[in-house]
Amino acid sequence: MKIIPPKRPLQFLRWFCREDYLEEIEGDLTEVFIKQAESHPRQAKWKFTWSVMKYFRPAFMKSFRNSYQPNSYAMIKNYFKIGWRSLVRQKMYSVIKIGGFALGVAACLLIALFIKDELSYDRHYSPQIYRVLGVIIDEGDVKKGLAFPAPMAAALKEDFAEVKEAGRYNGSELFGAGSSEVRPDGTVENAYDEGFVYFDQALLNMLELPFIYGSPKTALSQPGAIVITKRKADKYFPNLDPVGKLLIVNNRADKPYTIGGVIEDFKATSHIQFDFLIGTEGLEFWNGEQKNWGASNYATYIEVQKGVDVAALEAKISKGIIDKYLVPSMLKDGIPQAEIDKIFKEKNAHLELQPLQKVHLYSNGIDDSLVHGDIRIVWLFGGIALFVLLIAVINFVNLSTAKSANRAKEIGLRKAVGSMRSNIVSQFLYESILFSLISFIIGIALAALLLPYFNFISGKSISMPWITFWFVPSIVALAVMVGLLAGIYPSLYLSAFKPIQVLKGNLTRGAKSSPLRSTLVVFQFTTSIILIIGTVVIYRQMNFILNTKVGYDKEQVLLLQGTNTLGTQVASFADELRALPQVVAVSTADYLPVRGSKRNGNSFWNEGREDIDPGVNSQFWRIDPYYINTLGIKLAEGRNFNRELVSDSSAIIINKKMAGKLGGNVLGKRIYNYAGLWTVVGIVEDFHFESLREDIQPLGMVLGRETSVLAVKLKSGSMSESIALLTQVWKKFTPHQPIRYSFLDERYAAMYADVQRMGRIFTSFAILAIVVSCLGLFALSAFMIEQRAKEIGIRLVMGASLKNIFNLLTFDFIKLVVVSIVIAIPLAWYAMQQWLQDFAYRVDITWQVFAVAGLVAVLIAVLTISYQSVRAGLVNPVKSLRSE
Amino acid sequence: MTQQSLGEFEELVLLMVAALHDEAYGVAILEGLEEKLKKKVNISAVHVALKRIEDKGFVKSRFGGITEDRGGRRKKYYVITALGKKMLDNQYALRTSIYQQIPKISFG
Repeated sequence: MKIIPPKRPLQFLRWFCREDYLEEIEGDLTEVFIKQAESHPRQAKWKFTWSVMKYFRPAFMKSFRNSYQPNSYAMIKNYFKIGWRSLVRQKMYSVIKIGGFALGVAACLLIALFIKDELSYDRHYSPQIYRVLGVIIDEGDVKKGLAFPAPMAAALKEDFAEVKEAGRYNGSELFGAGSSEVRPDGTVENAYDEGFVYFDQALLNMLELPFIYGSPKTALSQPGAIVITKRKADKYFPNLDPVGKLLIVNNRADKPYTIGGVIEDFKATSHIQFDFLIGTEGLEFWNGEQKNWGASNYATYIEVQKGVDVAALEAKISKGIIDKYLVPSMLKDGIPQAEIDKIFKEKNAHLELQPLQKVHLYSNGIDDSLVHGDIRIVWLFGGIALFVLLIAVINFVNLSTAKSANRAKEIGLRKAVGSMRSNIVSQFLYESILFSLISFIIGIALAALLLPYFNFISGKSISMPWITFWFVPSIVALAVMVGLLAGIYPSLYLSAFKPIQVLKGNLTRGAKSSPLRSTLVVFQFTTSIILIIGTVVIYRQMNFILNTKVGYDKEQVLLLQGTNTLGTQVASFADELRALPQVVAVSTADYLPVRGSKRNGNSFWNEGREDIDPGVNSQFWRIDPYYINTLGIKLAEGRNFNRELVSDSSAIIINKKMAGKLGGNVLGKRIYNYAGLWTVVGIVEDFHFESLREDIQPLGMVLGRETSVLAVKLKSGSMSESIALLTQVWKKFTPHQPIRYSFLDERYAAMYADVQRMGRIFTSFAILAIVVSCLGLFALSAFMIEQRAKEIGIRLVMGASLKNIFNLLTFDFIKLVVVSIVIAIPLAWYAMQQWLQDFAYRVDITWQVFAVAGLVAVLIAVLTISYQSVRAGLVNPVKSLRSE
Repeated sequence: MTQQSLGEFEELVLLMVAALHDEAYGVAILEGLEEKLKKKVNISAVHVALKRIEDKGFVKSRFGGITEDRGGRRKKYYVITALGKKMLDNQYALRTSIYQQIPKISFG
């Protein structure tokens, strides 16, 4: 057997070693190896390898700078050079290509950041935490709620080993959560603050909120303890550790709260957002409240043990809680068995567990009075981002192939001197990567510039993640990838040219409007038109919302907040306001006909039917005799409350919906709820006291003393003057509390802030899509006209008018736009119909919407093309014909 | 180059080149050194030293004929130059002169 040195090390040596040394070294190494291999073949191989490694030092290495410069390097340099030159030569096309691309990139980047932010919600909490949902199917509607009886959390923890911990919060304004007047003990000036909630120590433990001061395990374990966030601590107790200090809420100096700890502010990406967590230890809102299974006011969260099958646990909990607690409690309250069966069998009332990480995006239809994102919006945005980028890529492809004639000679020459097809392909891929990189740089700059505006329309506070480790590499990777994608078709197309033909000069390819190019134009315009239709529909719905008759008069109503601190003086304060000339009416109005104000759900029965009929789920409000007049609610039958009549303390005014549910003809009859028997003295027309997304619910209103909010109906006229007068009176009554007011119409509009936001977003995207599409169309039409220059010249010579030329050139494109309209209308109609489903009260999508959108699209297209068409029609035909 | 220097291993290699006279090439030098030093030497070390002393002008080289047992590679023969010889002489003289200064005291 011939002994030969190991292959790999030898190859390695030959690769790096200087040529003038190689022969000697290789020879000597081989000689040594052969001598050794006779006695120790294995050892010899190792020794050989080792020796080779020892030569791997600068003195023996080739100079890579000079010799390791393969041809491809020079070639790539050349590709970029030629790419740059063609970019500079055709300025308009380059600007359109890069500009469109950059716009697409900017939009995509912003949306990607938005989506990332949406998806990051509640990720910082343990994934073992679940929110308990109560589900009931009522007349085909699936209703999900969060409110549970007070003792349920404790029962869950006690009865189910799988539940590691259970905790609750109570954010209901009925119990004083929400907003309050606050001051530290020892000061006199009240300040208004929001974010009050009753919060279990157990929930604090579960969420593992980071503490700055105080002990996390015991912060809320004492009665009357309160935990505040850092920003509130900085506001009320700047620069000191407030643990143990007292906080007086709503002037209740007799019942101050002791600060048990300070936590970091809740992250912006937490669905739980409070500032004042009041401990629930020893707290009972009424006697026996904490043991009562009949009143549901607590949002309940559980942490399950690791490895528990949640679906099974869900069923187990549901059955356990219903059988052991809810049904016995209902029976005890005198609810008939038939009714209970109906709730749990027919309506299939049960519990569900919602993972915390899903709360933000998957809570559509859950009545939890939190501000949520929507997974559909995330998808929608993602889709739009993709489409805008696609449009930009399409422009790129379109222009690259359209302008191919200009590069045909170059390609022919390259091929003639020996370029392979693969070389041409890679040349154009490099060129498109160059374009993509430039576009990305401009796009990112654009995104950074537009970020404040984007934050404004999306209601977020996103910042550019410049410094994160993934940002730059992923952007570069993306730029290269998009560049490759956009370059594939043009490069394959261009590289297929036959050198003989193109050098001879009879290239006809790319001159005519190819079916592909038409398809791309249609795609762009379809997207744009869909967005236009979406925008129009959203604005029409918003308009409808703002101008529809809601059943009460929301104009000129000022809401004075925080009047509960006046205590018994509220009545005289109200009287004094009534004496002002600008004031039409004043009413205490805790229960306002806008979403997010005080609510109280109740069941009503006709007298004597409470054990037989199912109750009518309705709202139960406590108002004063001025309420109906102040808000301009219309009485349909009967009368308003009368202050003079003592018997009106057990009178009730209901809305028509309630009257209908109770079987009609209830005026003068008595109805029953938990609080007693009420005589119906009046029936009001239905008015929208919730968002227009929902149907009007039954409502019963009785007299009561609720004094947190005063509604003041003002005469039209100088608003600032009226406010100045109100402030004077206010100062007289409470010198230590700044006046705080809002307007009913503003509160009403705020309910639909998300609709407005959607409208703005759609407008932005529609404009973006149109701009990008127009850029493409503009460049494409310019190219087409350039190609047909001779034809136009001949036509002009033969006597065609400007109008003839214009029509000729424009018609082709208008056809494409019309096709787009036809495609876009059904798609847009379907999508917007889906969106409108969210509203119980909505506009119809009429043909006018489509007409407007179509007209806008055609108009924009004509305007875009006309510049080029008119120019073509005005040019001296001699110029274009001379060359032949 | 102002001051010519010669490292210890370089000096040994140079000596060996001189000793082998016309037969000095990589492997021969390696084997000669291993025999005298009574220890293993890596061929790469010999090459490094050879290149250095060649750069310094102490040896010059030429290629020999093709031989079978080297995978067809030619040997490269080294011959000491006049400068190299002078360098060795200087070194020898220097060492001897210092050595002779050692007092004749009994060691041990």
